[in-house]
Amino acid sequence: MLVKFINLIFLLILPFLMQGVIKKTKAFWGGRKGASVFQPLYDFIKLIKKDFVISKTTSFVFPLSPLVTIVCTMFAALFVPLSNGTAIINIPAGLIIFAYILGLSKFFALIGAMDTGSSFEGMGASREACFTAIVEPAFFMIAASIMALSGNYTFDALSKIVSNAGSYGVLIIIFAVLALFLMLLIEGCRVPVDDPATHLELTMIHEVMILDNSASDLALISYGASIKMLLISSLIARLIIPESITGLEYFLYYLLIIFAVSIITGTVESSTARLRMSHVFEFVFVMSSFALIILSLTAARIFGG
Amino acid sequence: MFCIVRLLALAKPLTRSINRLILRMIYFIGIFILLIAAILLLPQAFGVLLNGGSIVKTFDFNPLFGAVNFVIDPLSAFFILIIPVMGLISLIYAKGYLKPYLDKGKSINSHTMFFVTLVISMLGVVTCQNALGFLICWEIMSLSSFFLVIFESEKKEILNAGVKYLVFMHISVIFIIIFFAMLSIKAGSYDFNAFSAILQNNPHLKDVVFLLAFIGFGVKAGFVPFHNWLPEAHPAAPSHVSAIMSGVMIKTGIYGILRILSLGGIPSKALCYMVLAVSVISFLYGILYAVGQNDVKKMLAYSSIENIGIIGAGLGLGMLGLAYNQQIVAFLGFTGGILHILNHSIFKELLFLGAGCVYLKTHTRDMEILGGLVEKMPKTALLFLAGSVAICGLPPFNGFIGEFLIYLGMLKGLSIKSFFAFLILIFAISALAMVGTVAILCFTKAFSVIFLGHPRGENASQVKQDAPFTMLCPMGILALFALLIGLLPNLIFKILIAPVFSLIHNSPDAGFQGIPYAKTLAASLSQLTPILLTLSFVSFGLIVVTGILMLLKKMYNKKSETSSTWGCGYNKPIFNAQYTGSSYVSPFLSMLKPLFKKVFDVKKPKKLFPSDAHFSLQIEDIEEAYVLSPMVKFDEWFLSKFEKMQSGNLQAYIKYGLIFLILAILGSFLIG
Repeated sequence: MLVKFINLIFLLILPFLMQGVIKKTKAFWGGRKGASVFQPLYDFIKLIKKDFVISKTTSFVFPLSPLVTIVCTMFAALFVPLSNGTAIINIPAGLIIFAYILGLSKFFALIGAMDTGSSFEGMGASREACFTAIVEPAFFMIAASIMALSGNYTFDALSKIVSNAGSYGVLIIIFAVLALFLMLLIEGCRVPVDDPATHLELTMIHEVMILDNSASDLALISYGASIKMLLISSLIARLIIPESITGLEYFLYYLLIIFAVSIITGTVESSTARLRMSHVFEFVFVMSSFALIILSLTAARIFGG
Repeated sequence: MFCIVRLLALAKPLTRSINRLILRMIYFIGIFILLIAAILLLPQAFGVLLNGGSIVKTFDFNPLFGAVNFVIDPLSAFFILIIPVMGLISLIYAKGYLKPYLDKGKSINSHTMFFVTLVISMLGVVTCQNALGFLICWEIMSLSSFFLVIFESEKKEILNAGVKYLVFMHISVIFIIIFFAMLSIKAGSYDFNAFSAILQNNPHLKDVVFLLAFIGFGVKAGFVPFHNWLPEAHPAAPSHVSAIMSGVMIKTGIYGILRILSLGGIPSKALCYMVLAVSVISFLYGILYAVGQNDVKKMLAYSSIENIGIIGAGLGLGMLGLAYNQQIVAFLGFTGGILHILNHSIFKELLFLGAGCVYLKTHTRDMEILGGLVEKMPKTALLFLAGSVAICGLPPFNGFIGEFLIYLGMLKGLSIKSFFAFLILIFAISALAMVGTVAILCFTKAFSVIFLGHPRGENASQVKQDAPFTMLCPMGILALFALLIGLLPNLIFKILIAPVFSLIHNSPDAGFQGIPYAKTLAASLSQLTPILLTLSFVSFGLIVVTGILMLLKKMYNKKSETSSTWGCGYNKPIFNAQYTGSSYVSPFLSMLKPLFKKVFDVKKPKKLFPSDAHFSLQIEDIEEAYVLSPMVKFDEWFLSKFEKMQSGNLQAYIKYGLIFLILAILGSFLIG
């Protein structure tokens, strides 16, 4: 019980730190000193205190959507293995509950954006929905393949790849980590796909959806986005850390991997340029090809000699 | 003379009011009949579902076709639960929807009568266990729904859609008649119980019968490639009729397939794979075309194809589970599929009724010229939103529970030691995931383009008030059902067990006891209970926590300033520049261009100065374009060769009669 509680506390704090580390990394590559790693937390508090500016066009959907988004993200977090290696609610097919709750949050984010009647926000919403439609099947294919290997339908299956698939397992883990990292860049709206720092409305995806949100709404939305990044990094951590490592040791490795992922994300952001919108689709499809590779490896392992 | 004229002038409003009274009476008689049907049947259906067993009523139509059994067994009890309730809800809604037609002086007597006939004949279809009786009920169902579709028969396109529907239904019934004939010749009786023995002893006959049944009932259900009537008939029919057709009537096709399964058990493995594959294709095809529709009811019709596909995937999974002797997989598949039948009838009916409210107020089904309706029609908007969330299969609504069970079954099915099963299941899982996200794209588009933003045209901006209470109340009840199933899956699960067991055990009246697999299934059921509890925890949690946050936000209400939507610094937004539905889905559809014949109708400006240009979304059904139209064209060409025979000349017709008679006599000599 205590462990679960500590888990929750870290779930609440780590997203800010991740964002802070990413920003610090970008500052480092840019040759700047950069703000403190706690700056995202300060920003959050500052935004919460601010007053709203709300568009005249909006309806009941607009104030509702940030709340639904954050609540859904929090509930989705319950089903993902966090800092102690198991999910707070560890049940078979937790994956599906996880994905569908995030789906609900996406639904409300999309209609919240469309509620303003802005062409920019419509554009962002339409792109975001489109990318999800490519990412999600790939994610399900990867997860289902991995679960088929061990016959275990909880997220624990992620840790049992090597013990079930031997040398195939190493390859599967490599491709799965790569695929999840791509998913992190796409869903977390990071650089080759989207630029969280840009201010040109036409080129943005997620950022442009929230142009009209202000004050605590904006704070909750960006907090939700960082939690989502943490969740995907947690899955990466669960994939990499071997089954035998548990307890405090797992926690330390977990932190290490979370920060490593943040640093790599920051480095990718500093070293690559944003892709042209038509090329973003090709980038997103790379994840599907990784998923197919994992599927074929799994099939080879189960049915091949 | 003058007096008579005065009297006549007086008489006209009088007869009109008498007419109205009669119309009302007939409408209320219709409601009364359905109410009685519901009151009589629901307790019995619940009894059968909870306790197992079955209720048999035999009617002797001796000189015609002997004793006919009307049976309420768990399978039909499940459908009886749906049919009268949904019928009643639609009919109550119809009053508000048909009012403008009544005011114009159009009679709705026959419409009400056909509606009641449709509901009663559907009840007949699911209870009658005699091939002839079944076919009669089936035909009454098809015909009465045809008359419902062509309610506005003075419009040519509606009549065309209706005729297309009629043709499709009669192609379907040919297949059904063929296999019933095969069975009754073998069995020497029209009774379903006699068929059961025949089917179980002849595996080959069973395969043939199942294939014919799948095609025949599949046309009714709307599986791809037999789906083509759905996107034509649903937009043509009045909304409450589309609601009952899409929500309930197409499920009688599923009922037929289930009935054949429960009579004869599963067919060979190849056919089980076929059902799963056809279903996966159906749901992908349905949702991809749904995204591209601008007509809201056409979109809902394509989404029905998608949902029928999901139901079929559940059934296919169940059959596969039985074929590989994996009871848990079979159990989850059938449960998910059957639950999705109920779920789909609830949220699809809700959405069609919502679309009807919008049509009533705006007189258009074209989403592209709507927008901003949430301001004047907040209740309709809220209910449509509930339906949209439910149909995307998202918690806390009912759609999630059914899809979750199917996913769980598919995951468990991965342990089947067969390469082909593994492959098809993995692809089915990711296809289902894709359908989930594309459904989100599709229904966020529909909801936001109809209700959110600014009105895009006169039709939307002239709306003054929300739909009347008699229309909103039935929708509210449906939304409540959807929410309750999502919140309390454990309760709804209780009524699913009996029909599912009757499929797995392959006997019509199985209860819990006396089943060989009872132990393994009981174990899997006890595994399932905590999962279902988690689902209801999540659903409750989502609602409660969001509610608390909303209260908090209200309590610490900070100053809020209203302003216009951000437009790059321009303070006067141009409403024409809003995103439309076509532009919303264009990135996704242009990615999938090869799958369609034509997606966009674009004319780009070419010169230096602005010139004539347009962009619109025009998706044509690929089957319609490449299969049906060429077929119809060929038929027209071929049959036109015989036009000359019809000369209108009496002598010529007598000559044809003579030739026919000679041929018939010669033929009988040759055969005899």
